[in-house]
Amino acid sequence: MSIDAERLKLPLARPNVLDLAPLYEVLRREAPIAPVTTPAGDPAWLVTRYEEVRLLLGDKRFGRSHPEPEKASRISTAAVQDGPTGEYATEEADHTRMRRLLTPAFSAKRMRMLGDNMEELVDACIDQLIAEHSSTGVADLHHGLAFPLPVAMICRLLGVPEEDNEKFASLSERMAGTEIGEEAHQAREEFFRYMVGLVESKRGALGEDVISDLVRAQSEDPSFDYVEMVRLCVGLLFAGHETTVNRIGLGVLFLLTDRSRWDALVADPDGRVDAVVEEVMRLGAPGDLGLLRYAREDVDIAGVTIKAGDALVLSTNAANRDASVYSEAEEFNPDRPERTHLGFGHGAHFCIGASLARTELRVVFAALAKRLPSMRLAKDLDSLQVRATLTGGVAELPITWR
Amino acid sequence: MKVVVDQGKCVGAGQCVLAADDVFDQRDDDGLVDLLDASPPAERLADVRHAAAVCPASAIAVSE
Repeated sequence: MSIDAERLKLPLARPNVLDLAPLYEVLRREAPIAPVTTPAGDPAWLVTRYEEVRLLLGDKRFGRSHPEPEKASRISTAAVQDGPTGEYATEEADHTRMRRLLTPAFSAKRMRMLGDNMEELVDACIDQLIAEHSSTGVADLHHGLAFPLPVAMICRLLGVPEEDNEKFASLSERMAGTEIGEEAHQAREEFFRYMVGLVESKRGALGEDVISDLVRAQSEDPSFDYVEMVRLCVGLLFAGHETTVNRIGLGVLFLLTDRSRWDALVADPDGRVDAVVEEVMRLGAPGDLGLLRYAREDVDIAGVTIKAGDALVLSTNAANRDASVYSEAEEFNPDRPERTHLGFGHGAHFCIGASLARTELRVVFAALAKRLPSMRLAKDLDSLQVRATLTGGVAELPITWR
Repeated sequence: MKVVVDQGKCVGAGQCVLAADDVFDQRDDDGLVDLLDASPPAERLADVRHAAAVCPASAIAVSE
């Protein structure tokens, strides 16, 4: 590693919610694995080039746990992706069991079957937006659609009462908070207690939902720790709030900040929406950090030596704009020939909700193009309120359709 | 064309099903890959290759 004086400090300031810091381009070219200081003040490696990010995500010498968690570099002051998670000795087996348990409930086929249900929900949200804001013609798409759809879907899948929505929405937001210090960790504790209450109230009448599946599996498997099970439930509910919500927001902004992008989708919503969704997944860059890993052994790669225990921040945001992989990498172009991206990650930890997210995004963008073809932003991109959370995104999405 | 899948590597991402649902499915009990057609017709090559390329676990091998 080079001397501390040369270390970059994360996060690298970005010009706006859609673009990344120009420095990423220099890093990809000259220092694809660079020593940095995390927002928490600890050393880590920042990985920015597509080839290395993909390679490391698929390499079992890098994991989420740490042999001495108390000595591990911390990444941020948020209470998610902030440091090591899981047991070092059993990480791979624990993770495999978790995937086997959850994968069927999130399979591509099951998610497609939810599509009709989602279309009805989205249509109802848009009806309500139009009805409630017909006098002004201005509505907040964040509160009216981007937030309620993913939350309703994850609640149904997990078996969480939708009426608790405000409670866990606020807990999710605080857990991911990067500017509230210790309160983020207090929120994680509160979320844990909420989930224990929910799990215990469901135990007497288990149903056909993911939390019921997990409660059953945990009660039958002595090696499946109760605390781990509850944390997993919290993680799933959190992820259902903090990911697709932001992605809808970023997608709408990409589409509406250049009229030709929106007009192309409006001209052929069903034919174009898949490619639009993939481009939103590639170019949308929520949050300023990346995916966190710890090296399980010493590894020589791209001219640096990563020591066992070192932390790595894998910037999928930067990798997805790598000019050595994508032509005109910074351009939003759903017609580009390159069809792959790292927007859902890669390797063993590939996003388990990817098919759910894709289905939601397709339904949302196709419906908006059909129902509100004259939609445009009611505020400048630069004046939109950005969320101070690890997962980024906008706090508001004011649009008009007149 | 010949397609081989490795269920030991599969992480159940479902990317292959989205790329070519006439060739790949996910099993109902564990969500792992279910190869529906081990020798798909030549005109499916582009989609099957794409499925192999986007597999996050590199669990799909395609040979012509």
